[in-house]
Amino acid sequence: MPLRKCLRAFPAATLVLLVLVTIPAWSQSQPPPPSGEKAPAAGAAPTAPSLSAPLPVKDASPPSAGDLAKGDPGGTLTGTVNDVAVSDAKKGLTLGDAVNQIGQNKVAINFVWTLVAGFLVMFMQAGFAIVETGLCRAKNANHTMMMNFMVYGFGLFAYWVCGFALQMGGVGALANLGGTAPLSNEYTINLFGKPFGLFGTHGFFLTQGGTYDVAVMVLFLFQMVFMDTATTIVTGAVAERWKYVAFAISTFFLGAITYPLFANWAWGGGWLSTLGTNYGLGHGYCDFAGSGVVHAVGGLTGLAVALIVGARLGKYNRDGSSNAMPGHDIVIVLTGCFILSFGWFGFNPGSTLGASGNGALRIGSIAVNTMLAGCTGSFGAILYMWIRYGKPDASMSGNGLLAGLVAITAPSGFVNSVGAAIIGAVAGILVCLSVEFLDRVGKIDDPVGAISVHGANGLWGVISVGLFADGKSNYGGSWNGVNGSVTGLFYGDPGQLIAQLIGVATLLGFVFGISFVFNWLVDVFVGQRVSAETELAGLDIPEMGALGYPEFVLKNHRDMAPPGGFGAAVGA
Amino acid sequence: MKIVGLLLVIVGWLMPVLGLNLTSSNTARLILSLIGIATCLVGILGVLNKAFMKSAVWKQ
Repeated sequence: MPLRKCLRAFPAATLVLLVLVTIPAWSQSQPPPPSGEKAPAAGAAPTAPSLSAPLPVKDASPPSAGDLAKGDPGGTLTGTVNDVAVSDAKKGLTLGDAVNQIGQNKVAINFVWTLVAGFLVMFMQAGFAIVETGLCRAKNANHTMMMNFMVYGFGLFAYWVCGFALQMGGVGALANLGGTAPLSNEYTINLFGKPFGLFGTHGFFLTQGGTYDVAVMVLFLFQMVFMDTATTIVTGAVAERWKYVAFAISTFFLGAITYPLFANWAWGGGWLSTLGTNYGLGHGYCDFAGSGVVHAVGGLTGLAVALIVGARLGKYNRDGSSNAMPGHDIVIVLTGCFILSFGWFGFNPGSTLGASGNGALRIGSIAVNTMLAGCTGSFGAILYMWIRYGKPDASMSGNGLLAGLVAITAPSGFVNSVGAAIIGAVAGILVCLSVEFLDRVGKIDDPVGAISVHGANGLWGVISVGLFADGKSNYGGSWNGVNGSVTGLFYGDPGQLIAQLIGVATLLGFVFGISFVFNWLVDVFVGQRVSAETELAGLDIPEMGALGYPEFVLKNHRDMAPPGGFGAAVGA
Repeated sequence: MKIVGLLLVIVGWLMPVLGLNLTSSNTARLILSLIGIATCLVGILGVLNKAFMKSAVWKQ
């Protein structure tokens, strides 16, 4: 009986429940018009308020002068409607003022982000300086430090005179920085009916062509420190035997001509960046933060100079076997690696040129990719060395970290974290293989491994964009003028890989070629290499006039041992 | 030998660039790019390096 009662009551209960649920939902979806107002006619668009109409400031409840006079320890009264700039004091705050303030705030955020990122990259010079000096012998410490120190001055001057104009003089308006409109003239030739951008023509001395402009200044600072990174790579590859005057001339040329030309083709609206729009190759050559533009340019120029200068005395025996020439301070080498990996957070995330708008919030992903690739790079190198030689080599672990960072520089804005980890691990192993190949097969002496870290892994980073770009990044809807996201071969676009490979061929052919020819001429007219006497004595006194460590007296270990040996001295 | 090496480097660069206009096939462009890169590497490491090695300081 109770079961029958329940079955009879079920339809009634369901009906009541439906009514209870439906009535409030219906009443919520049909709000009655407030009394005294007519409901808007269906399809009529709401009228936009006039931008010049005064806004009722009191609705924002700004703090009174009395409240502000008491101070604001909680931080709740500072930064209110009172701080919005008003264009007409008589009229007071208008919607136009508020909107302009929003626009300026966006650009201000992006200016500050880009400048701080540039300052971080500038600090990388300190990292490069101590990594290279630590990997050299103590008798060349002053000379190596001075090359790294003055590369900043020589490079900056060359870049200010003409490098920046050649690189970015035709890049056009960059939305994140609120304009850069004066950078509007790219020298272009027509080849096979397609425009090929070759170099920019606005911005010489940062004044020509109307480039005395706040956004242009921000862009200059950021691009300058990138160029400086490329020039400092070369000093490592030919450390301990490079004549200082030849270094100065070579650095000036790299900062004024070689680097800006390739950077224009990749970043300044030049022909590599238009391979997508001209030939349908993905999004054209894509190099987010400069594996190719910065690191491969530096590494390949280093290779060109290293070939011309030749190996250090004592590096190779007559039979071609090589001798280890360990650096004098592994502590500063690894400290330098840490400084560099810190600076890389300016290098890669800063390359969005902003933190607000146009997909720039991807900076979080870019920073994590950077961190991961550095980590897996050092993993790859340490494991390779441990397995092959039985010890986890410190300097190669540091080089593995840098190799991972170099390789992720181009793809950091286009790949996911799994791709970043793989790219870094490959780089860590590649740097070890490349160092061994150059040393044992090529007989190319590179005291710090710069050619392998920056050259080989710069090229690997460029290629990896064409493989691992996952098609999820979207910086304002298009990249290099092609709509959509950059997508690599593994995610369905083989055209992108071809664009990247053309970039690699250009780096090997043009950048290496022009660097080789120019430095060959320097060798003929000035001489690239110091004399054998200078090299054996150490470059500090003959080239720089002072020792890096004047109070050090280098002695043989046997000379330093106490009578009876070290064991006797400690009572063993 | 140095001039030959330099020429190989330049030819290796121009090969994929000029190839862009010779064909619209992605496969052909990919192959041309790879051949171009290989030519550049042979020019640098095979020919130029060998040319400089002849007068290397450690051989004297």
